[in-house]
Amino acid sequence: MHISRKFAATLAIATALTLPAMAQATIVAPGQSTTGTYMDYMKTVYDRATFAELLQVPIATFDKEFELTPMAAESWSQSEDGLTWTFNLRKDLVWSDGEPLTAEDYVFALQRAATSGYDFAWYWDFAGGIKGWKEVTEGTADVSALGLVAVDDHTIEVTTTAPKPYLPSVTSLWYPVPKHKVDELGDDWALNVDTIVSSGPFDLESWEKSNNSVALTKSDTYVGPWQAQIDRLEVDPSLGAPEVGLPAFLAGDTDYSFLNTGQVPVAMAADPDGIRKNAVFATSYLSYDLESEPFNDVNVRRAFYYAIDRDELTSTVLKDIAIPAGSILPPGYPGYNPDVVAQATFDPEKAKQFLADAGYPNGEGFPAIEIWIREEGGYNGAIVPAMAQYLQAEFKDVLGITVDIRQLPGADWMDGLRGAKNNIFIAPYEYDYLDPSNFYGIFYNGGRHNYFVPEYDDLVAQADSESDWDTRYDLYAQAEQVMIDQGLIVPLVHPITTAIISSDLGGEASEPNSLGFTPLDRLGHYFFTHLTK
Amino acid sequence: MLSYILRRLVSVAFTFIVVSLIIFLMMHAVPGGPFDANDMPVSEAVRAKLMAQLGLDQPLYVQYLRYMWGVLQFDFGVPYQSPGESVLQLLSRAWVPSLILGGLGVLIGAPLGILLGMAAALNRNSWIDYLASAVATLGLTIPVFVTSMLLILVFAVWLKWLPASGWPQPERWILPIIAYAAIPVATYARYTRSAMLDTMSRPFVTVLRAKGLSERRIVFQHVLRNSAIPLVTVFLPMFIGTATGSIFVEAMFRVPGLGAYFVSSIETRDYPLEMALMLMITFMYCIAYLVSDIVYALINPRIRVGGAE
Repeated sequence: MHISRKFAATLAIATALTLPAMAQATIVAPGQSTTGTYMDYMKTVYDRATFAELLQVPIATFDKEFELTPMAAESWSQSEDGLTWTFNLRKDLVWSDGEPLTAEDYVFALQRAATSGYDFAWYWDFAGGIKGWKEVTEGTADVSALGLVAVDDHTIEVTTTAPKPYLPSVTSLWYPVPKHKVDELGDDWALNVDTIVSSGPFDLESWEKSNNSVALTKSDTYVGPWQAQIDRLEVDPSLGAPEVGLPAFLAGDTDYSFLNTGQVPVAMAADPDGIRKNAVFATSYLSYDLESEPFNDVNVRRAFYYAIDRDELTSTVLKDIAIPAGSILPPGYPGYNPDVVAQATFDPEKAKQFLADAGYPNGEGFPAIEIWIREEGGYNGAIVPAMAQYLQAEFKDVLGITVDIRQLPGADWMDGLRGAKNNIFIAPYEYDYLDPSNFYGIFYNGGRHNYFVPEYDDLVAQADSESDWDTRYDLYAQAEQVMIDQGLIVPLVHPITTAIISSDLGGEASEPNSLGFTPLDRLGHYFFTHLTK
Repeated sequence: MLSYILRRLVSVAFTFIVVSLIIFLMMHAVPGGPFDANDMPVSEAVRAKLMAQLGLDQPLYVQYLRYMWGVLQFDFGVPYQSPGESVLQLLSRAWVPSLILGGLGVLIGAPLGILLGMAAALNRNSWIDYLASAVATLGLTIPVFVTSMLLILVFAVWLKWLPASGWPQPERWILPIIAYAAIPVATYARYTRSAMLDTMSRPFVTVLRAKGLSERRIVFQHVLRNSAIPLVTVFLPMFIGTATGSIFVEAMFRVPGLGAYFVSSIETRDYPLEMALMLMITFMYCIAYLVSDIVYALINPRIRVGGAE
């Protein structure tokens, strides 16, 4: 009797203690796009439903230090000739409906992307370089020609056209598609909460299509690495606009919010400890038509390179929504080279000298030029027009050159760039996959800019397929030195996003990385599984 | 009267067809299509396949006739931005929050505006008259997203009485309803005040006073009724305008309503949805004006419609 009473008392205390801990931890987060069609990343990237990717487990993904971490794969290896990669999958992964998750689901995902997915094929073409990809997407070869084989239930073999030392990092966007569901329902499996299955750390509870908001719950079938530490996650893309997000945050309706320039002081005053910054892996730079006057002269390009006071630009005009860029690669990006960055100084004397050498002392006789900028939304919208006006004043001041600014719709701007219809542009670029080859590729052999610089192209081609990482980074650094010496571009700024997070949030994802940046949901898999409340 | 209504219905049908043609042509005259957004690189082969699937590879007149044939059977197609449901299903889903918030905004705002306008007219040049003018001016000139922001700032952020935004809990309805109500309050206060002042200066009111009727009877039974025509004119169109959702109010208060679709359907070149929304609005406005005209005749028999009688 006595013992049982003691037991009952202990039980009561234990229950009382655990009850608060058992209260559901729900995090409310902003999303990105208020429209989304399919809850299927591999069907559509640009029109996907909110955080479709969080429902699935990628082959590998990045942690906050941008270290590649195996997820669905346990390990991988590269063949001697560097052309074939073997990925060994975990054996215990299942879909939320209990079906086993196999190599077939991954292979099928890419086969479908190449044949009937609608906006993701390009990534696998230029980032993956998978054998046969171009031919299959263009419809000139059968899907079996793809360099993709499910060797058995847990082994995938990927063959590329050239050695791609960085292929594992490309697989951070390789999610499985439930072949058994597609066989049953076609692509429509990803349209209704009832038929959507997941393989990752979260399951789908609800999806409000009118604003693309979702409620996710911690998966009870996912057994792989990085399991969710919260019970529930509500994501509302209407909170993505800082104008809506910050008031909601201050009223306690969301756990974090992104900030616009005007809001930063308000948020700093409200809670300085809650401010988080992230360097977006993006760069804005000046580029030229290298073939025509006046930028066919390397001295003119060098003059522009030295004529820009990036520190003043970012601290005054841009109010720290961007940081100075001395390289095409942003800080923290693989291959980022401080030696290259250090060369990008503001040196009016040098700038004037180069311009004089080109035959335009103090800008005399320099033709009228117009900088073409693209109509932008998001972070670029806050940066590019203001920056263009700053450069206009600076070029007048330092070089004695009169510059006009012209803003064009995206397609017209791109047409102008590709067709060399103007001679100077401000071009923003955000990475597509985490490897230097991504940024250097935009100037390689035509690329985005119609640049054909043999010396640069040789170095980039060597680096792209070099398997020793130190040699590879060194080759890229040499290539960038060619860019600097020939003044092919002028790196201007890297955008910074700023957010405020609630003090209720904890876990390592809420803390900055070693560079002082907090990538938040830009690293969705890491962020939402390493967050507590 | 009946023949008048019939004639008006025929003209509604005619308007409907003309508007559908204009919208359809304008929609397709805008450069670009649903699959060539700048940031969405779709290969040519895939684009061609998608265009064929959606019938967008057909000549324009075929597309138009096909669509309108569908409309006659209440089939407005499948929205590109929400495959897996029909346009009608999308509308019936997304319209609910807009109808509730916008509808309640007008239903609450209009009587408040009338009361304010009446009080102002009956107490000309008093503080309440000035208040009504201030409310009317501010309500009509301050953009609704500013009103919304102020409401959120005061009631959610500073006072913490109400949640800032969200859906569907009823406590989250209050602020957007107030934001929506601002315009009918302002409009009705202004209209009621001027209409009542106008009526009160008419000789028949003096006659009524001379007959010894109480001021209350004069105002409620005679003046108000005679001032009602402009109020009736604005009510239905305003109801339709507000109850189909405002993109600003819905975005500020995170309401998953219809408002945003008016913009997103144009942005994403979602032709079926864009057509459906425009046709729906056209139809509702046509009917609203028709009903308003009929109600005129009922409340004021001196109005004889179309000279038929």
